[in-house]
Amino acid sequence: MRVLGVLALALALSTGAASARPSADPGISASEIVIGGTVPLSGIAASYASVGRGAEAYFKYVNARGGVNRRKITYKYVDDQYNPAQTVQAVRQLVQQDRVFAIFNSLGTEHNLSVRSFLNATKVPQLFVGSGATTFGRDYKRYPYTIGFLPSYIGEGKVYARQILKTKPNAKIAVLVQNDDYGKDLLAGFKAGLGAKRKNLVAEQSYDALSTDVSSQIARLRSSRATVLLLITTPPFAIRGLVAANRLGWRPQVYVNQVGSATNIMRIISATANPRIIEGAITLISIKDPLMPRFKNDAGMKLYRTIMRQQLPRGDVNDGFHVYSMAVAYTFVEALKKAGRSPTRASLVRAVANLNLRNNPFLLPGVVVKTSSTDHFPLDQGQLQRWSKNQWNPLGKIVSAKP
Amino acid sequence: MADVLQQVVSGIASGGVYALLALALVLIYRSTGVVNFAQGEMAMFSTFVCWELLDRGLPYWVAFFLTLAISFVGGVLIERLVIHTVSRSQALTVVTVTIGLLILLNGAAAWIWKGEQRTLENPFPSDTFDVGGVVIAAQDLGIIGVSLAIVLVLWAFFQRTRVGLALRAAALNPASSRLHGVRVSWMLALGWGLAAVLGAVAGILVAPTQGSFDQNLMLPVLIFAFAAAVLGGLDSPIGAVVGGVVLGVVLNLVGAYIDFFADLRLPAALLLILGILLLRPNGLFGRSVVKRV
Repeated sequence: MRVLGVLALALALSTGAASARPSADPGISASEIVIGGTVPLSGIAASYASVGRGAEAYFKYVNARGGVNRRKITYKYVDDQYNPAQTVQAVRQLVQQDRVFAIFNSLGTEHNLSVRSFLNATKVPQLFVGSGATTFGRDYKRYPYTIGFLPSYIGEGKVYARQILKTKPNAKIAVLVQNDDYGKDLLAGFKAGLGAKRKNLVAEQSYDALSTDVSSQIARLRSSRATVLLLITTPPFAIRGLVAANRLGWRPQVYVNQVGSATNIMRIISATANPRIIEGAITLISIKDPLMPRFKNDAGMKLYRTIMRQQLPRGDVNDGFHVYSMAVAYTFVEALKKAGRSPTRASLVRAVANLNLRNNPFLLPGVVVKTSSTDHFPLDQGQLQRWSKNQWNPLGKIVSAKP
Repeated sequence: MADVLQQVVSGIASGGVYALLALALVLIYRSTGVVNFAQGEMAMFSTFVCWELLDRGLPYWVAFFLTLAISFVGGVLIERLVIHTVSRSQALTVVTVTIGLLILLNGAAAWIWKGEQRTLENPFPSDTFDVGGVVIAAQDLGIIGVSLAIVLVLWAFFQRTRVGLALRAAALNPASSRLHGVRVSWMLALGWGLAAVLGAVAGILVAPTQGSFDQNLMLPVLIFAFAAAVLGGLDSPIGAVVGGVVLGVVLNLVGAYIDFFADLRLPAALLLILGILLLRPNGLFGRSVVKRV
């Protein structure tokens, strides 16, 4: 009996000891960590493919220098054609069949929303979501495994409202807005920022992302006699909107949101519409733009161009999405370093919510990536820019874009 | 009032482009009885070809007509190599093949031209005229002028030339035409070639109005062109043109002044297709087909 008792105790102790050791999560070994995500590589949003390719290029660069704690990062990004239904399928496959450690850098608001519950239920980290929808940073209590990256659209809208109230407190304002979650979020922030001056917003026209042109909407906005025009639009519609405004001879003070304000887009507007329509235009930027002359000799941008040349020679160096995606990949690598020598999904999520990175080489100087257990907005700073002489020029200091 | 007229003017300009693409759809439908879902993507591809030629330094009008020639050959080749091989199957098979072409051409363009925003030169002056508060752009007048000219040339071709007559005959009664020495299958290829040329003109005209374009230039335009063709009657060229312009104007007015449709212009066009097919399947100008049994 006694022997049996000892045996039982030994057994209990040994199993207890075994279960006390953290069981290894899927997707990680001593030599590799596998992460996955969805990016549109074909279909209507195929131009966002750079968001996957740039991050992959940065990981290859890190891997060539030994990886993180001798682990190579493998990033499987799958085409979802910017269709949330396909995002769901692809993410399930990544988690259940490919057994990835975490979902990273997936693009799109509805797309990330469609898998958020699933990923949190299965405790798979959903990291640095490619959307500025405020919910990804705000609702961390319900969805602790999810975190965004971009400044929240609400915060961005508030920054524009503050700037307009400061410079033209009584100007009539017109808004062209994309009719989806992204557009509504940014517009809501803008209205909140206007506060008591809400009545200054005299005209609002929306468009569907699948429509051809917005000249009808622009004609309506112009007839409101507004002198300020805010474009809450993706690049093609920023171009179409201002081409249409120019054709009608309308010259409002233009504000264009970060999503649509890359230098190459502004130069297209300048060339096809009229340089004068965007002279003095204003935007908020957090990430370095490859076409900004003042970063020509910047160390971060030199690193960027080296990585592009070595790892992604077919890619367009002037495409700002590549810089954006390297900024995200850099943040992931730093978080992984902080997650311990043998990271678990839980330790990675803790590390992600405890960042204070002052030297992200791909962000504007002075922009800090900071998170805490109550702050799940990694990037909530930016700097207003004013367009003149065919380039963006800084306007004032780094400002907060907290929602 | 000026606001309403402004919407009408802008509607006529966009309607002109719908009309050109609708005309291309009608051309193929009349000669082969097939609705070509790849029509928009063929036009988009031609637009990229034109961009490429201009990018390589050719003068505008050389690039323009060279693109039309390349598009014509491309259209003929697609008919000969792809459509012809499945033409004996059911109509559904052929339609499926054209949808396959749509996806293929879209993917190929994204791959070749990297899915970036490109800009195409505007052949017309960028002046605008102010007529009683309504702004009219020379570019829009140019588009309307070119569209009208093409419709007239096509009409003359079909009504006044032997080849045009043979084309019509081959479509109407292939067996009898063959007995009269018309090479029917080549006539079908010719129809595809002409449709490709029309699409190319539509693409080259519409791209500069949007400031920039990528491989998705024609996806939404195609839906409006379908609506225009159905509105006018799928077998009526005049109907396609009238349908295009009416659709452009109506959608602008509905979108601008009925809040419910403000950002539902595309669904409104689909609703129109459905309504017409239910109430007047032959459209405004189409003939109903009577078969003796």
